[in-house]
Amino acid sequence: MNAAIQITNLSYRYHDGTEALRGVSFGIAPGECVGLLGPNGSGKSTLLLHLNGILPEKLDYNGAVQILGQPVTADNIETIRRQVGLVFQDPDDQLFCPTVEEDVAFGPQQSGLSEAETKARVERALAQVGLAEHGRRATHHLSHGEKRRACLAGVLACEPTVLVLDEPTSDLDPRGRREFKALLRQIAATKLIATHDLELVVELCSRAIILDRGSVVADGPVVELLNDEELMLAHGLERPHILRHRHPHGEHQ
Amino acid sequence: MHIPDGFIDGKTAATTVVLSALGVGLALRQVRRRLPPRRVPLLGLAAAFLFAAQMVNFPVAGGTSGHLVGGVLVAALLGPSAAIVVLTTVLIVQCFLFADGGVLALGANIFNMAILGAAGGYGIYRLVCAGLPGMRGRVAAIAFSAWCSTVLGSISCAGQLAWSGTVAWPAGFTAMATVHILIGIGEGLISALAFLAIQRMRPDLVNESSGPGQPGVWGEFARYGLLAALGVAVFVVPFACPWPDGLESVAAKLGFEHKATEPVLAAPASGYRVPGVHWAAGATAMAGAAGVVVVFVLALVLARSLVPEPEAHGRSNKP
Amino acid sequence: MIDHWVGHHHSRLESPMFRLPAALKLGAALVIIVGTVVARPWWVGWFVGAALLLAVTVVLSRIPPLFLLKRLAWLSPLVLSVALVNAVQPAARGSWVVVAVKSTICLLTVTVVANTTPFSKILRVLRRIRVPDLLITTIALMHRYLFVLAEEAERMRRARASRTFTRRRRARWQTLSTVVGQLFVRASERAERIYDAMCARGWK
Repeated sequence: MNAAIQITNLSYRYHDGTEALRGVSFGIAPGECVGLLGPNGSGKSTLLLHLNGILPEKLDYNGAVQILGQPVTADNIETIRRQVGLVFQDPDDQLFCPTVEEDVAFGPQQSGLSEAETKARVERALAQVGLAEHGRRATHHLSHGEKRRACLAGVLACEPTVLVLDEPTSDLDPRGRREFKALLRQIAATKLIATHDLELVVELCSRAIILDRGSVVADGPVVELLNDEELMLAHGLERPHILRHRHPHGEHQ
Repeated sequence: MHIPDGFIDGKTAATTVVLSALGVGLALRQVRRRLPPRRVPLLGLAAAFLFAAQMVNFPVAGGTSGHLVGGVLVAALLGPSAAIVVLTTVLIVQCFLFADGGVLALGANIFNMAILGAAGGYGIYRLVCAGLPGMRGRVAAIAFSAWCSTVLGSISCAGQLAWSGTVAWPAGFTAMATVHILIGIGEGLISALAFLAIQRMRPDLVNESSGPGQPGVWGEFARYGLLAALGVAVFVVPFACPWPDGLESVAAKLGFEHKATEPVLAAPASGYRVPGVHWAAGATAMAGAAGVVVVFVLALVLARSLVPEPEAHGRSNKP
Repeated sequence: MIDHWVGHHHSRLESPMFRLPAALKLGAALVIIVGTVVARPWWVGWFVGAALLLAVTVVLSRIPPLFLLKRLAWLSPLVLSVALVNAVQPAARGSWVVVAVKSTICLLTVTVVANTTPFSKILRVLRRIRVPDLLITTIALMHRYLFVLAEEAERMRRARASRTFTRRRRARWQTLSTVVGQLFVRASERAERIYDAMCARGWK
């Protein structure tokens, strides 16, 4: 069976020449939930932008990224973007339409779906994230937590098979974080979550990949990796408290 | 300088709406053709930027403060057509959300600030850049053309008010021009400082300004220049210059009360009307020209003081 | 901070005016404005009629009167200037009273409509009357992000003010201009991210 995401030796440089990614390789099986960890500046966001072809800008896709067995190329980019739903770090960047409804409808409309189908998808997506009554609200009036949920709805409306999230719980208060984690738990897609929220990784993910300075420095089961204090500290992270008070083979995912 | 509804009459509003619609239509077509898709959201964000930037208060004297209008700054960064679209957007949103400027008066406001102000100012900017190379040239050009655009816009506004019969031309022109000559200095100063700040933080944003197809920009500008000139011909020239008698009577028959023979500065006694006109008009013109030269020199001095020597000639010459 | 003078919370108020279709409100507003602008000073009937209609809509819209008065206050310096200038040199026709009445009617009309109609509905009407797409997108994006940028500007200004220990005007102008410049740079970078987000969901 094809991997949901297959990265092979992916490298990328910024305009000024600094290497953002160096030979990154890993595969994610369908249905897996993987946490992508690393200190700031490690290249997490840059890596995620490669998963739906936003990077590289110059369209020199060399087969380093494969989604569901298909390499990302200039020709199939539209299909790829329908299969990979990317939730951006700043919800204000993603929620660019005047109302919640319109924003969630954006994806289905761009896919050319009929009005009826679009409406149905919007209702489903809003219900899934708990914003069913908030369709008519202006996007700039939403609270931070509501914005994050609206972004998720906008991506879910495209019905992607792979869900990629960039720091989904940053800036959320504890309740917001709990609610968002509960939402993610219910979504059946393959998930890759870049985050600093180590609790989220322990609770939702079965596997963790640590990125530091553009290279993969560790890739393995969550509990094993996150319990390795030396490894975590060496790469700008730390052993999460939630694991200190748990049996190492305790329940997860 | 946002004219509310009720200050200009029907015919003036209609004329300005037609001129502005033409100008904005041209600008939209140009932007659609030339702007890479990647920069489309930048139009909306630049409009939001102008709005937010206009809320930054610069202390002037006592309790007063001034703020940037930003037409020429945006034109220097994005090109004249994009600037027209951006400013039109700002004016429309300000009109609806804040009742700042009237609905019918949008035609006049767009003409004064977007077409004459931003695009016209851009033409002056490019002219000065062509004559003065380097970063110093660009800074001086921005300061000077921002001042010009403020003053030009205010004169056009005075013309529209006069044509509507709301405010007599001589008094209106004097009041508007005087005030905006001063306001324009602030505008020029802030535009130059902000431009320099942007250049220091992101030189790439400044060097690729005026968008792709730089050689074509003069053609692009020529069309706005024509519109601007047309507007000036309708709103300003008839007041500023005495008309030949034949044309006067025709105008009177059509109901256009230009009162072109009134001197710009109120003549002390009616007996001196005719010779007084030419003298007063001539004197005003000379004073105006002198003022422009003074401001230009000030702009040069400003550029000199802001841009250190090595930067002045080290940067790309492309304006 | 900016919200209180945008009055958008008013457009969330349930009121009879709010429920009227946007196209009707905008159309009626246009008729009133055009009519008022071309009305001759002696068409008293028109002015009285318009004023009455406005009074009714103001009551039905449930907009706080203080808010309307504050908006009207913006007009007064302009009307006063016209009055002053006309005192020095009388205008060709009409007096500042006519100007005051006309501008008041028009301003109230726009304010009532804008505060009883969600902005997205206004945009939809504009789209229906064939306003070019590019302009509508730009207006929509401006409206969406002006609050975001205004808050950013406020935060930057406050941060800078906390580190400004001089009252010298020159230093403050330098600082404030840098805030303006930074604001543009951030706006530009955000525009790029928005483009990426649009592409990520299939924008062509």
